[in-house]
Amino acid sequence: MSLVIAILLLLVAAAGTGVVFTRTPRRQVLAIAVNGFALALLFMALQAPDVAFAEIAAGGVAVPLLFLTVLASMKMDRSPRPGSEE
Amino acid sequence: MTPAIRLTLFLLAALMCLPAIAAIALHMPAFGAHALPYGDAIDAAAPGERHVSNMVSAINFDYRGFDTLGEEFMLLGAVTGTVVLLRGSRGEALGARPGIIAGRPLLPHSDAVVLICRLSAPLLMAFAVYVAVHAMTTPGGGFQGGAIAASALVLLFLGEGYPGWRAVVRSPVFVALEGGGSALYGLCGFAGMALGLPYLANFLPLGTYKDVWSGGLMLVENAGVTFAVGGGFTLIFLEFLEETRVKKDPDERDVRAEDIHPETADIYGILRRAPRDGGADA
Repeated sequence: MSLVIAILLLLVAAAGTGVVFTRTPRRQVLAIAVNGFALALLFMALQAPDVAFAEIAAGGVAVPLLFLTVLASMKMDRSPRPGSEE
Repeated sequence: MTPAIRLTLFLLAALMCLPAIAAIALHMPAFGAHALPYGDAIDAAAPGERHVSNMVSAINFDYRGFDTLGEEFMLLGAVTGTVVLLRGSRGEALGARPGIIAGRPLLPHSDAVVLICRLSAPLLMAFAVYVAVHAMTTPGGGFQGGAIAASALVLLFLGEGYPGWRAVVRSPVFVALEGGGSALYGLCGFAGMALGLPYLANFLPLGTYKDVWSGGLMLVENAGVTFAVGGGFTLIFLEFLEETRVKKDPDERDVRAEDIHPETADIYGILRRAPRDGGADA
């Protein structure tokens, strides 16, 4: 196992831990995106570029975008409930 | 359940699992060493049998082409379900205003963001076409190319804002791409049956090894997957982003360019330059 792969494995572990320990939903979405890109780098280092491409597009773009959209939509003009916080 | 009890339970469970985990970890093959003969067999056979140099495509579209057909219809089902669930709750009209979250200002896009998006979206789209077309020779393929193409379209949303995105991304086009791509994949298998071959048999000429147009029927299947994935991803983005616009009453006529508040129109300059009759597309 080369040094690059060892470093990338640690990076993925750190990014994954970051997702778990982020408590704000909006920051957690960005943490998921960072984790996706870290995984893509690892796949690239492990000579799996096909999976790396898919991971960048799905894990780095599509999933965070959908989560952010849902978070924005939830805060938007849904019928305001009396006594709601915001 | 207090945190203390939870932690105790977790530690107990971890302690019980530890011997099993340790036993497995100690008996794992060395990193990178695998005892799986199929990958090596495909590496040895595919260049001669299928004339392609990207073995992943050879497996996805030929040796395991039927599995990919299943995945294709799984995607079709997921996209259809999403569209059916989300469409209609806010009307299908184009040109509606983007919604505003209370307490969060709707700031104009900085010139840098607009410039970067306008420069990189066409480049990313060109890269998507490259990845999709070179499926048989280099890493990537229809799924990756389609997903990258959808990401390039998302840059339009980032750079031009919601009205600009809606003006360019029309759902009928992407419905046709999604459905047509899946149909192309599913139906091209029947062409071989007309010649007396099994379903999805690769009956087309295989071409020259390491040539872009090698692989025979795999090229058709790859095109189907590209259209289906690109169209499907974009449709899902479209339906989700539609949830973030101002809700329109059912009996209210569609928002026209001149109805939009001047400040909002300033932010989304695109609407003023090209006024759109939103009602016609509803």
